[in-house]
Amino acid sequence: MKLGLSRACLYSSCCASISSSSMPSLTAIKPKIPIFLRQPTYSVTSSDLQKWHGWAKNLVSSVGSSFVESDNGPDSTLLCRELNWLLEDSLENRSSSSCFSFPACKYDTVDEIENVMLRISLDDLYQLWKQRIEDRRPFQYIVGCEHWRDLVLSVQEGVLIPRPETELIVDLVSDAVSNNEELGQGLWADLGTGSGAVAIGISKILRIYGRVIATDLSPDAVSVAMFNVQRYGLQHVIEVRRGSWFEPLKDVEGQLVGIVSNPPYIPSDNISGLQAEVGRHEPRLALDGGASGMDYLLHLCNGAAAMLKPGGFFAFETNGEKQCKFLVDYMQNQIAGSFCNLNIVSDFAGIQRFVTGFRQ
Amino acid sequence: MQWKWKKLLVRLDLLSVQLNKPDLWDDPVHAGNISREHGSLMAKMKKVKALEQELLENIDMIKLAREEDDIELESEMLKALLQMRRNSNEKEQEALLSGDHDSCPCYIEVQAGAGGTESMDWAKMIMQMYKSWAQRHGYRVTVVDEMPGEIAGIKRATIKVDGEYAFGYAKAEVGVHRLVRISPFDSGKRRHTSFAAVAVTPILGDGFTHVQINESDLRIERFRAGGAGGQHVNTTESAVRIVHIPTGITATCQNERSQHMNKDSAMAVLQSRLDQCEMARQAQINAQHTQSLTDIGWGNQIRSYVLHPYRMVKDLRTNYEVTNPDSVLEGEIDGFILSYLSTLLDKGEDCP
Repeated sequence: MKLGLSRACLYSSCCASISSSSMPSLTAIKPKIPIFLRQPTYSVTSSDLQKWHGWAKNLVSSVGSSFVESDNGPDSTLLCRELNWLLEDSLENRSSSSCFSFPACKYDTVDEIENVMLRISLDDLYQLWKQRIEDRRPFQYIVGCEHWRDLVLSVQEGVLIPRPETELIVDLVSDAVSNNEELGQGLWADLGTGSGAVAIGISKILRIYGRVIATDLSPDAVSVAMFNVQRYGLQHVIEVRRGSWFEPLKDVEGQLVGIVSNPPYIPSDNISGLQAEVGRHEPRLALDGGASGMDYLLHLCNGAAAMLKPGGFFAFETNGEKQCKFLVDYMQNQIAGSFCNLNIVSDFAGIQRFVTGFRQ
Repeated sequence: MQWKWKKLLVRLDLLSVQLNKPDLWDDPVHAGNISREHGSLMAKMKKVKALEQELLENIDMIKLAREEDDIELESEMLKALLQMRRNSNEKEQEALLSGDHDSCPCYIEVQAGAGGTESMDWAKMIMQMYKSWAQRHGYRVTVVDEMPGEIAGIKRATIKVDGEYAFGYAKAEVGVHRLVRISPFDSGKRRHTSFAAVAVTPILGDGFTHVQINESDLRIERFRAGGAGGQHVNTTESAVRIVHIPTGITATCQNERSQHMNKDSAMAVLQSRLDQCEMARQAQINAQHTQSLTDIGWGNQIRSYVLHPYRMVKDLRTNYEVTNPDSVLEGEIDGFILSYLSTLLDKGEDCP
C-alpha cells in the first residue's frame, strides 16, 4: 500500500492483477496508482507526442457542443483543458507540457528528434483519450486523481469523484472548530467517505488530539480512502472502517464531537437521466438516495442524535433546497429536542446545499 | 540626461547660497529641507565626480601601459573599465526602477477591445508577447485566468509574472495597444485596426500594508453554474468569481484544477487589485503622483503595431520605434520599456 508499490504497478493499469504474496495486504482490493505518481519510464519522440496531441485535439473539436446539448456534459473548451492536464500528469517534466498545449508555441521550438519521458505508454494515451470522448469516461478516472481543495486524491471506478461543492464541508467544520476548541480535539466521523476527501480535509483542521473515523460500505472506497490517507501520512489521525453508516461505529456511540457526510441523495427516478460521466461510470451506490433521495439523510439524522455528544456538530450535503428544508423541518418537528442551531448553507452556485447544526 | 546634470549644478549653487544665509535657521523646517536636499545632491555629485575621476585615471593608465608596452597592466585596466561600465549600467537600472513597488512580482491582464475575433486574436498575440518576454527574463509565468474567444484568440486573460522587478518593467506596458493588419479572419482581405488593453498590478510582499478584506464583504460565485449541481454533475470546471461588494471589484480564476485553489488564486488577484486602488487613492491624496495615477487605470493608447501596408512598431509616448514587428511580438520589448522608464525618470525629476 506504500507509494513504492507504484513501481510494481507500472506495467499494468490494474493493480488488482498483482499477486498479494509479496506484501502484506490490508484490503482485498488494491488501489490503482494515479498517472502522475507513476515512474516516467516510457520514452517517446516529441513528434510522436505532437501527433497524439493533434489527434486528440481533433477528436475534441468533433465533439463541439454536442455533449452540452445532449446531457449538459463538457464542451470542447473544457475537454481541451482536460487534454492539457492529462499531458501535464503524463509528462515527467510537468512544465514542458506548455510547449505542447500553447498553440502559439510553434512546432519548431520543440526539437523533433528530442525524446520526452512519459509516465504511461503512448498507446495508453491514445486509448485513454478515446475512452474520454467515445465512452464519456470521467476525466478523473482517466488520470486516476481529482484535485480537490489543496489535495490531489486518488480515485478510480467504484469510488465517487469528490465534487467541488463538497469542499465547503471542510470550511463549515473549520468555522465550527474555530468557535469551539473542544470540537477540534474530539472524535469525528465521515460517513460514506468514498475517496476519503472530507475525512482528509477535516483532519488537517483538527488539533493535536482530534481523530476521524471514515466509513464506507464499498470495498473499493475503503481501499482508495486508505491509500489517500497514507499518501498524506494521516494514518494516525484517520481510521478507515468498512461498513454501512453507523454500524462500524458501535464502540464510539455517544462519543463523537462531529459527524460529516455527503450521502447518496439523488432520487432513484433521476438516475437514468444523469450526465453520461456520472450515470454510466460512477457507482450507483454513492448516488441513489431512494425514491425521494432522502433515505440515507434521514437515517443519518436519526443516527446522529444517538452518536453525537451534547454540543456535537454535524454537516450534511443534500440535493438542494427541497431536501434542506425537509431535513430542517424533520429535525425541528419529528425528532424535536435533539438538535439546535440548525442552519442551511448555500454552495457557490447559490443552491442551498448543506444542513448544519448541533446536538442539544 | 546630459542637460539634467547642468540643472543639478545650478540647483546645487542655489542651495549653497541659501545655506550660507545667516538667517537660514530662523525657519528650522525650511532650513532642514534645504540642508537635506543639499546633502543628497552633494552625495550624488561626489559619486559622479569619483566615477569621472576613476575613468580618467584608468584611461591615463592605459595610455601609460601602451607607451611602456606593459601588456599585463593594459589588460588589467581594460578589465577595470569594463567593470565600470557594468557598474554604471547597474546604477542606471537602479535609477529607472526605484519605485516603491518596482521590485514586486505582478499580474499582467490583457483584454480584447471591441471588434470580435480579430481583436481577440490580437489580445492573444499581445499576451503571448508578454509570456515570451517574461520567459526571456527568467520570470516564472502562470496563467491565472483565460477566457477564450468563440472562434480564436482570447476575450481576456491574466498571467502572474514572478521574479525580481517584474512590476517595475511591466508597468511600462499599461495602456491600449493598437494593431493594423490584413485580418486573416476577413475573407475580403481588408485592413483592420484592433485594440487590446493591458493592465499591470503589483503583488505586494509582506513588507507592505495590505487592504483588510472582510469575509462578509465578499460574494463568491461559481462560474457557468446551472442545473442541480452536487452529485448530479461531474465536471472539471471549477472556476470561481469573487466580488468585493463595497467596491464592485471582481476577480476570477479558472485555471487551477480545484475550486478551492481557484478561489485562493482569485483572492490573491482581488487583494492586489484592492491594494492598487488604495495606492491610487493615497496617491491622489498626496497629489504628488498624478502621473502614476493615469498609468494605473486602463490608460490611453500607448503603442501602435503596424503590419500592413508598412511594418513598424512605434511607442506613442516616447516615439521609440522599430521596423521589425515580428521580433517585438516574440517578446523583444525591452527597448520600449527602457525608453519609457527613462522618460518617466526625466519627468519625475522635473517636479520640484
